[in-house]
Amino acid sequence: MDGMKYTKSHEWVKIENGVAVIGITDYAKDQLGDVVFIELPDVGQRVVKSSQLGTVESTKTASEIYTPLTGEVIAVNDGLVDNPQWVNESPFEKGWMVKIKLSDENQLNDLLDEGAYKEFVSKEKH
Amino acid sequence: MPYVLNTKKEIKELLREIGVNSVDELYEQLPARLKFGAPLDLPHGFSEHQVRKRVKALSNKNVSLEEVNSFLGAGCYDHYIPSAFSFLLNQSQFLTAYTSYQAESSQGILQAIYEYQSYICFLTGTDISNASLFDGASSFAEAVLMSLRIKRKKKVIVSEAIHPEYRETLKTYLSGFDFDIKEATCNKEGFVDQEWLNKNIDEEVGCFAFSSPNFFGLIEDGVKLSSLVKEKGVLTVMVTNPFSLAIFKDPAALGVDIVCGDGQVLGGNVSLGGPSFGFLAAKERYLRQMPGRIVGKTIDLLGTVAYCLTLQTREQHIRREKATSNICSNQALNAIGAAIYLSLLGKEGFRDMALYSFNLAQYLYQRLGEIKGVNLKYGNRVFNEFVWEVKDAKELINKLYKKKIIAGLYLGDKYPRMDNCILSCCTEKKSKEDIDDFIEEIKENMD
Amino acid sequence: MDKKLIFEKGSEGRKNSYVKKPSFDIVEPNQIIPEKFLRQDLPLPSLGEFEVVRHYTNLANLNFSLDANFYPLGSCTMKYNPKVNEELASLDGFIKLHPYQREDTIQGALELIYSLEDILCEITGMKKFTFQASSGAQGEFIGMAIIKKYHDSKGSRRSKVIVPDSSHGTNPATAALCGYDVVVVDSNDKGLVDLDKLAKLVDDDTAAIMLTNPNTLGLFEENICQISELIHKKGGLLYYDGANFNPLLGITNPVLMGFDVMHLNFHKTFSTPHGCGGPGAGAVGVVPELVDFLPIPVVAKKNNKFYFDYKIKHTIGRVRSFYGNFSVLIKAYVYLLMLGKEGLLRVAQNSVINANYIKEKLKGHYSLAYNSRCMHEVVFSCDKQKEKGVSALDISKRLLDYKIHPPTMYFPLIVKEALMVEPTETESKDTLDYFIKVMIEIDKEINQNPDKLKNSPHTMPVKRVNEVAAARFPNLKYTYEK
Repeated sequence: MDGMKYTKSHEWVKIENGVAVIGITDYAKDQLGDVVFIELPDVGQRVVKSSQLGTVESTKTASEIYTPLTGEVIAVNDGLVDNPQWVNESPFEKGWMVKIKLSDENQLNDLLDEGAYKEFVSKEKH
Repeated sequence: MPYVLNTKKEIKELLREIGVNSVDELYEQLPARLKFGAPLDLPHGFSEHQVRKRVKALSNKNVSLEEVNSFLGAGCYDHYIPSAFSFLLNQSQFLTAYTSYQAESSQGILQAIYEYQSYICFLTGTDISNASLFDGASSFAEAVLMSLRIKRKKKVIVSEAIHPEYRETLKTYLSGFDFDIKEATCNKEGFVDQEWLNKNIDEEVGCFAFSSPNFFGLIEDGVKLSSLVKEKGVLTVMVTNPFSLAIFKDPAALGVDIVCGDGQVLGGNVSLGGPSFGFLAAKERYLRQMPGRIVGKTIDLLGTVAYCLTLQTREQHIRREKATSNICSNQALNAIGAAIYLSLLGKEGFRDMALYSFNLAQYLYQRLGEIKGVNLKYGNRVFNEFVWEVKDAKELINKLYKKKIIAGLYLGDKYPRMDNCILSCCTEKKSKEDIDDFIEEIKENMD
Repeated sequence: MDKKLIFEKGSEGRKNSYVKKPSFDIVEPNQIIPEKFLRQDLPLPSLGEFEVVRHYTNLANLNFSLDANFYPLGSCTMKYNPKVNEELASLDGFIKLHPYQREDTIQGALELIYSLEDILCEITGMKKFTFQASSGAQGEFIGMAIIKKYHDSKGSRRSKVIVPDSSHGTNPATAALCGYDVVVVDSNDKGLVDLDKLAKLVDDDTAAIMLTNPNTLGLFEENICQISELIHKKGGLLYYDGANFNPLLGITNPVLMGFDVMHLNFHKTFSTPHGCGGPGAGAVGVVPELVDFLPIPVVAKKNNKFYFDYKIKHTIGRVRSFYGNFSVLIKAYVYLLMLGKEGLLRVAQNSVINANYIKEKLKGHYSLAYNSRCMHEVVFSCDKQKEKGVSALDISKRLLDYKIHPPTMYFPLIVKEALMVEPTETESKDTLDYFIKVMIEIDKEINQNPDKLKNSPHTMPVKRVNEVAAARFPNLKYTYEK
């Protein structure tokens, strides 16, 4: 997808005016199965690259979401708490999770582009 | 050989199919130095007839409560259990079933546990209950751990009138971390000292735990206690005897956040103290921090009502070291037993039994009060047990035992300052005559 | 089918006659106790005995149970639960004992616990046991707390506990509950603890390693002696999770393997019923160096009298009230008396024979996670079936239609689409053959009619249960209609 960046822990990142929108990828949601619960950080919270942002749970597994970027949480998708199925239905749109105001745009260089992420996923499958 | 069905001939056949010549070959990967050189130093197996004789002989060496006039309580109570109870609970389809991970073949178990959870919520007034824990002491420890997780605090204040063995258990459960446990003292009336509490609660405290009825049998002022600590942002954990809730106000109405205790009174035998089960119930907002199994109501593929274990991601088999607890079972059979027990007794029967226990305890309280030299330690705001004091209490207990009376629990071992105190209890199984005999014997043995 | 809950049954005013009113004028609580302490409403149903009996008998009939169904559940050791256990455990002389009775009135009970301990010491090589744990998990907690206290007593603050990647989730959860950091050691390509990787992990900060042996793949850790040497050299201890001890009864013991602390699950190895998930019992045994750390109290004997000993120098304290799940101990004791030394050995051998038989017969149809000699259980992977769109879950649910309880699924975590099969020694060749036939039949169904599997089970009281809806919209109790 255009302008989309990815992480090896299967988050996607979209940059809009210095703000990173973060969610989990198609591959991640397929691995999880039906999402039943989501825990997100508080707005205003400072997060440091690679620290835990929240949790996504299906009936059989729980997995952590990590922030690939340092910054301040300026919005969370409150609707997900009551509608966790959005992550399955529309992981890149309705299923967005957190918006972070970046502290260091250089960190964006550490993210994967679509081609690199696809290659990473295909390796992980085997 | 008992319980193995394979015959010698079949074993040969099985080994041939496996492609080995002997059983020993199946153990080839064990290093030789690990294998026993000789058989275990144990007797040969006995016949069932012999085993029954031996084990019955052991049971005959014990004195069962049926043979004495006992006033023992103190966390384990001899309530009446209807005959239908054990018939229902000991059906193979409950007794020999495994945990209901396969919901489709466990609907009966799951529904019964859902009923159990509902019953616990009705009695405690709370929104949610888990499917049970091991016993009252460990459920108390889990409740405190849960409250500390919720509050992210390290300090807990517990009333010294919580069962001593529960407090000891809590210490063990918290010993792996730098948690701080402080004990709230009791006042002269046997209740938590509110002044002390007021002074000692600070921002570092995550939870205050008390028991009502407390270990001395007294009903605490739960409303006052929980509102006092709530002002300071502290959670309240209450240990209770579920039987007392037939009469006394439910913990949720008192303002309590987490309720726990032992469920032995709901259908369990005294059985030397185990097995029983622990219950844990709380306000809905604490659901994600609740340890242990939980059953939920849902639907199947066709939309029919069905039940299953739910919210399992809190648990060890998924979360591993991040789980809310290491517990991976519950006391399912005892929990189902509690649902059966409460159903058999029903609304009136359950209240009646509680009411009779209450009245018998009040009668004993009054009769003891009439004896010169007996000091009723505290007031009579009690459910079914209370503390009394008498000179040379230990000796009196021994003398009474010669008359086949167990006067109660001597408290000096558990509370050094209660050197001459006895905790006595009446369930509905006591009669006026049992109590009158007890009183007469006390009088006779007092000087 | 009647799907009503017990709360939707009965009729106001209906009651049974179980106990008599005391023979004096009774008073209502509000005559003695201020109203503010009393409850107004008790929202319980009013039922007659017969309708309660029918309700719970019908519920019972909806379940699979060991007495009716084969449970090849890996790591759970679902062996037959002898009926004599139940009868003897329910004698008045046992169930009607109060935990605070005088010790001279419970001598038989104490003697039973003492004798049971003797037998377990002989079987395991351990020096002493405690019976306080209500389950394996609580046993682990006791064991790890002992290990922690032991290191503390030597002034050694260690922070690390090692578990294999194939371990049961309780192991890391217990270590965490004791305040330890959990470090995972990978398995090698044979499914065993990777010795080289372990050697790199073990250091002066290692408090212990927690192992089952045979491991959760059903394989005997052949290098156990090297492992224990490695750990002991650095001052660490070895914890033995006895979940898989069944195939080793009378063959070897944890002490010979180098373990220091262990627990045994009575509801697995010693035939006590699972009761839908409890009560069980976990006995914890220790080597002589750790006896002083056991929880209080333990049963001791002096001048031919048995008593509870509370004087344990470095005790970790208590983990529950009273003395453990006594009734469960009686059942295990009865079982051990029935078996005797030859019986125990026979149990071990036949558990291994039965598992290997299934392995041989099914390995052509389902992939083996590891193709080496297994002990009491064997782990298959349904990877081939998964490629055809049918998962281990689908296969498990289909087994229900054949009245077989599915094997343990999706465990251990290191095997994809795992099915972990433990037949136990108490099943007959006929039953094993039936299971094998059904598994092969199901594999065929995948080619013929995969939807039949994906929509299974077809013959249970309900169709496949929607666990997602249960978790998304938790409904955890009944609510009365206003």
